[in-house]
Amino acid sequence: MLEATNLSKFYGSVMAVENVTFTLEPGQVLGYLGPNGSGKSTTVKMLAGLLEPTYGEVTYNHQNIHKDLIAFRKILGYVPEEPNLYPHLTGEEYLDMVGTLRAMPLSRKTTRINSLLELFSLWPHRHITLGSYSKGMRQKILLIAALMDNPEVLILDEPLSGLDVTSVLIVKSLIQALSAEGKAVFYCSHILEVVEKVCTHLIVLRKGQVLAHGPTSAVHEKIGKSSLEDVFLGLVEDVDIAQIVKDIARVMACP
Amino acid sequence: MISRTKQWLRERHSAFCRSPFGCLVELFLSRMLNGAGDTEAGELDLGVGVILILLAMPGLLVSLLMFEKYGSLIRFLRGERAFDPFKAATPDEYLFIVLSVAVTGAAALWRWDTIFLDRRDYSNLVPLPLSLRAIFFANLCALLALTGVLTIVANGASVVLFPIAVVGSRPSLSLFLRFAAGHAAAVFAASVFSFFAIFALAGGLTALVPPTAFRRVSLSIRFVSAVTLLILLATSFTVPDLLKRLSISNAHRVAVLPPVSFLGVARTVWVGANDAFSSSMAGAAMIAVGVSLLTATVAYAFSFRRSFIRLPELADARPMTRISSLWSRPAFSQKLAFRSPAHRACCQFVSRSLLRSTAHLQTLLCFLAVGLVISAEMFAAGSDHFSAGKNTVPPVEFLSVPFILGYCILVGIRFAFEIPLDLRANWIFRLWLDSDRHDARSVARRVLLAFSLSWMAPLVLLVTLAFWGWMTALLHTAIWCACMLVLVEILLIRFRKMPFTCPYPSFQSHSPLIAVGYLFGFYIFKSWLPDLDQWTVWIPINAVWIVALLGSVLAGLTWYRNQMLDMDKRLTFEDVSRTTFW
Repeated sequence: MLEATNLSKFYGSVMAVENVTFTLEPGQVLGYLGPNGSGKSTTVKMLAGLLEPTYGEVTYNHQNIHKDLIAFRKILGYVPEEPNLYPHLTGEEYLDMVGTLRAMPLSRKTTRINSLLELFSLWPHRHITLGSYSKGMRQKILLIAALMDNPEVLILDEPLSGLDVTSVLIVKSLIQALSAEGKAVFYCSHILEVVEKVCTHLIVLRKGQVLAHGPTSAVHEKIGKSSLEDVFLGLVEDVDIAQIVKDIARVMACP
Repeated sequence: MISRTKQWLRERHSAFCRSPFGCLVELFLSRMLNGAGDTEAGELDLGVGVILILLAMPGLLVSLLMFEKYGSLIRFLRGERAFDPFKAATPDEYLFIVLSVAVTGAAALWRWDTIFLDRRDYSNLVPLPLSLRAIFFANLCALLALTGVLTIVANGASVVLFPIAVVGSRPSLSLFLRFAAGHAAAVFAASVFSFFAIFALAGGLTALVPPTAFRRVSLSIRFVSAVTLLILLATSFTVPDLLKRLSISNAHRVAVLPPVSFLGVARTVWVGANDAFSSSMAGAAMIAVGVSLLTATVAYAFSFRRSFIRLPELADARPMTRISSLWSRPAFSQKLAFRSPAHRACCQFVSRSLLRSTAHLQTLLCFLAVGLVISAEMFAAGSDHFSAGKNTVPPVEFLSVPFILGYCILVGIRFAFEIPLDLRANWIFRLWLDSDRHDARSVARRVLLAFSLSWMAPLVLLVTLAFWGWMTALLHTAIWCACMLVLVEILLIRFRKMPFTCPYPSFQSHSPLIAVGYLFGFYIFKSWLPDLDQWTVWIPINAVWIVALLGSVLAGLTWYRNQMLDMDKRLTFEDVSRTTFW
């Protein structure tokens, strides 16, 4: 069980996240929503142990993750927001490196890499350097790297970015299947309809603070809106969408 | 036996690479040799083999030249009967030492960005079950391995060939081995010192300079370091003579400074520790190596702690400082300066890319450094005439300075135009520029002139005016400007691409000819044109000849361009069939 308690992060005097508290149980898929600059990525980095919170703590099975980060990262699969890979390595070499660094046994590593490359349709491109991969292909490599050691906890930051329709469908179903197997999935995304379909629980964030938290259906009921888009707009965006659209069209038509 | 040893070594290496630590060391080493950037963007994309050959070439070429100098037949013909190899080879030993320092230092400067871990390493490695200590030590091991590789590659040829050239004809094996050992010890120590000195500088900067100012400061320091290395190289012909001419106390003071002190290492091995002067030099050299190693390690540890561990807390980029520029002028002046809005946009793109892209600015600064060092040498050579103050016309050495600098800057920018930025961003030019009516040459011309003539012409005028009056200043500046304009036209004769938008040009059969052309051009700008300039300043009516000469060159260029086929004038992006998936 992954638990965040009163998680706060300040960059100097600037508050990025304040008093975020939640629990991620095995089998749950927790959606993390918020507009740009609301503190989503900061939370993700703190959950992955990349950033130390200014206040509060992240615990895994009641133990602070910073007490034994290496043990925590052994059970963690992480897909960062940016597919920032080594351009001089081929797809296969990169995955082999990740497997070696995770100390996976050779035979298991090789079998998993080959199977996952095949399943994610990257087998024909495995000997091409990552610098030549498209964004979607890099994203698939990140997903494979996160999944290859069968992690207990998955932290996914915009995992569908750049993926084609088939891959999106595969990943959505995969998340549900992994959750059914008892994996805990933290899913950070802007794509509301995917979050709505995939996530069992939801956190809506604005300016670093939690606005709504609970099972997806409960959040819907609480706000009294039918779709997640309406919930999101009702909670987070205090802007008049129709007015903005009108203004953009007016600016475009200006001589 | 040999095959069994090979097999054993291969197995050990493979087992090491399969361990997490070995895998990290291998990754960091390949990252240092291959560069950290995208293959599509920026950096000079050379394979490891090419890099190693480039590093080995200077030592190899200079060593080969030594065979002629030390050949026994040549010495016999010169009438040199008594030959003390240790004494005779000392000036050349110094040349090899500074060459070793310069080549290793240049390689360290080139790979400056990759020797420290960056955001990419952080996002790929830190989420994995690895301790920060393992990452720290793996990178340190990779750095030590890189130092070893650079040291061996830069000096390998000279360690074998130089002793053969100097004492290869002697029948004594012990003499050969002693000479080779002394030479190897000196050049290897010099290489290690150079690498760690640059590394300490980079580490110190990372540890001390705020991240916001790091890029600018780092570029300036690299530029100064490159100039220093070139100056060191230029001292190779003067220092051994200087040491002989100095008083004993002054010679002692100079001799303990690196890289001169490394001569002491070689001489201590050659003639033994009885020579107190050589021993003190060797002691100073060893202290220099130790201090550079220690400083580099401390700086690395501090930079790792201050920079790498705090990476996620640092913003990716800060807003650029706004500098009022040529482009932010009133609309009417922009209409005069640029042919069309597209022309203006392209000029802005090229200028900003040149100033903001590290790889391009580095290339330009490298050429500028060469120009500065050669200009300084010319200026020093002409300083006697200059201080005498008797001349009514400036000495030719003084006149050559702007020609050399201008040539190096223009060729540097032209060279930088060939280095691609991100080729995936080319779609914007493909979409908007008309291939038949493109302004590529005009854009390149304006940028070349803006980066050279716009600031150098007033400087040349003012400096000449301060010493030799209006007439000389105007004539000299006008001739210099005309020569620069013609050079720009020559550099752009077949230019038909938007700068930075094409992949690296492939090697062609006439590429060596182009390289020779650039060297010949440099010679013309260093010697012939300043002579012609002085002749014109002396007798102003001679300007007619210069006008005729430059006019005929321009006419020739125009004729050549008119003869070109239309397809050779169309805008190109020089696509090559590379495996790229969008």
